[in-house]
Amino acid sequence: MISCDGLTKTFGSITAIQDFTLEIPDGCVFGLLGPNGAGKTTTMRMLSCLIQPTSGKAWIDSYDIGNKADVQKIRRMIGLLPEVPGLYETLGAYKNLDFYGQFYGVPKQRREESIKTTLTNLGLWDRRNEPVGGFSKGMKQKIAIARALTHDPKYIFLDEPTASLDPVAAKLVREYILDLKKQGNTILINTHNLSEAERICDSVAVVKNKIVKVGRPKELARGLFARTVSITLQKIPSSLLAETSSLGFVSEAQVNGNQLVLRVKDPERDNPKVISWLIQKGLQVQFVSEEEYSLEDVYLKLIEGEDR
Amino acid sequence: MRKDLAEFRKQKLVIGSIVAMPIILGVVMPLATFVPIITMIPQNESWDIPGLVELGSLPDDFSVPWTNRTIEERLFTAVVFQHATLRNVNLSNCIIVSCVLEDVIVRDSTITDSSLDGVYLENVTVVRSEGIKLDGRSILSVSSNLFFIRTKPSEIHQVLPMMLNMMLMIFIIVPATLPTIIATYSIVGEKNNRSLEPLLATPTTDGELLAGKIFSSFVPSMGSTFLAFCLGVVLLDVILLPQVGYPLMPNLTWILSIVLLAPTTCLMSVLACVLVSSKVSDVRAAQQLGGFVVMPVVVLMLGVLSGFLFLSPLTVVVFAGLYGCLDIGLFYFVRAVFNREKILTTWK
Repeated sequence: MISCDGLTKTFGSITAIQDFTLEIPDGCVFGLLGPNGAGKTTTMRMLSCLIQPTSGKAWIDSYDIGNKADVQKIRRMIGLLPEVPGLYETLGAYKNLDFYGQFYGVPKQRREESIKTTLTNLGLWDRRNEPVGGFSKGMKQKIAIARALTHDPKYIFLDEPTASLDPVAAKLVREYILDLKKQGNTILINTHNLSEAERICDSVAVVKNKIVKVGRPKELARGLFARTVSITLQKIPSSLLAETSSLGFVSEAQVNGNQLVLRVKDPERDNPKVISWLIQKGLQVQFVSEEEYSLEDVYLKLIEGEDR
Repeated sequence: MRKDLAEFRKQKLVIGSIVAMPIILGVVMPLATFVPIITMIPQNESWDIPGLVELGSLPDDFSVPWTNRTIEERLFTAVVFQHATLRNVNLSNCIIVSCVLEDVIVRDSTITDSSLDGVYLENVTVVRSEGIKLDGRSILSVSSNLFFIRTKPSEIHQVLPMMLNMMLMIFIIVPATLPTIIATYSIVGEKNNRSLEPLLATPTTDGELLAGKIFSSFVPSMGSTFLAFCLGVVLLDVILLPQVGYPLMPNLTWILSIVLLAPTTCLMSVLACVLVSSKVSDVRAAQQLGGFVVMPVVVLMLGVLSGFLFLSPLTVVVFAGLYGCLDIGLFYFVRAVFNREKILTTWK
């Protein structure tokens, strides 16, 4: 488990991240969302023991990131993908992975087997000795992710894993991350890509130099937006909108064409009542659906709220 | 280190220049300059010993009359001495092999494998000998540990030791200059290529990381210098053999220089460049500052060229010891000031 308690980092007069407190359970894919300069990379670097926090504490599996004696142990548990792949471009994929395996002290035989499996899965085994400088961005990114995994780390930190990738390459990388999730790794992702975060993250934290909101993507929307039900009727009488005021649980109502849009507190409880009420009035219900708010809506609302 | 060397192996032009530079500077250019001068040395003038056909092949009538004896206060001409102790004697046109010479005047002779104390030498070739309190002029060539109080290098053939000293200096300066580009690039280059962050995130300690960077610059530089040195020694002997009559190189000074002084000098240069590389955020600035690191070696070179210092085994050992101590201190300093956080957060 990753635990952060009041983690703060300042660079001179600039506060990169302040009072970062949260817990990331094992086996979870956790997303850090925020605009540029929100402190996501700084947080990831602190958790990777690359930079020291100015104040606050954090523990990775009970190892303290501020304790020098624990730093090597923490680094062995973490696989880091920085914002840029940072591969040795004149060397082949095999050598790139092999050197990192050596840096992490992976035994030769295990290293060879692991690299062979990884490169075969990536479809790169036949091209293992070609300089990676000639590979596509997506391939480089996948090799960089594979590099972060050469020592079979428990925690995987990915900083913008799909940034600057085309949709096909981004999809490949996303699938790769989901595979890692299935294998039980704990994954921390920094991303601007909200639909991606929505698809792969179990929980997210919206940050802007501090934690703005934490939760599961869907729960975040529920906390921010009242739930809205859209009912499509065959025909809407003109008096219907005024009559909705008799339904005490409806906080807001409007008509769009032949759609009646209602804001209700608890759709699971209130929807059947609305439907019976409409049927009693002799109206024919065609469709009932709940208005969905995307993580993007949530993010924009939160960040705009912070900007004000 | 292996990673850096593997990357380095891909740069064929860089490898070519690293191999070629010591050969051109330490072998081709000195020999091209020295050979015309060396060939001007008159072959018969200095060891004009009657009946002596060539050095190393003593005539029968020059049998060994003075083996294992002590000879004092005598005057000898055209005599061969072996295993003798000579005190207060005056020798000319003699061959002196494995002797002890104390307060002796030697002219137009050859001394081999001997010990010299308070000896005046004039037109003498000294081979594989050791000496103190020496004085004289026209020393033809020196191939071992001789320390002269005063010499008068007026003859053309006296240029040879100085030329050899200069050539030796090149083999000390080249390993100091050769790694500057690679070493100054070592850390700032990785930062510029954006490959430093994943490397710093590994459990590699600062000491291990720096040692890898240091040796990946040190090994190719010293390897190519050693190759050029061997080539230089062989070519020098081939060229000088007709002039001197015996293989002149490598002598003790040269061996100590390549084994002790050149590596410590190279290491000092590499350490200083890695220090620069870890403190400067731009490759060009690092390489520009890297030029300063050869200054301690230039001091040594100026000392030798000005005649203030003569490269003897003692001088070489003293300087190698000094540079070795500096290397150790510099390594700990580089490690102490290496700051991962600053490199990651303040370099752009």
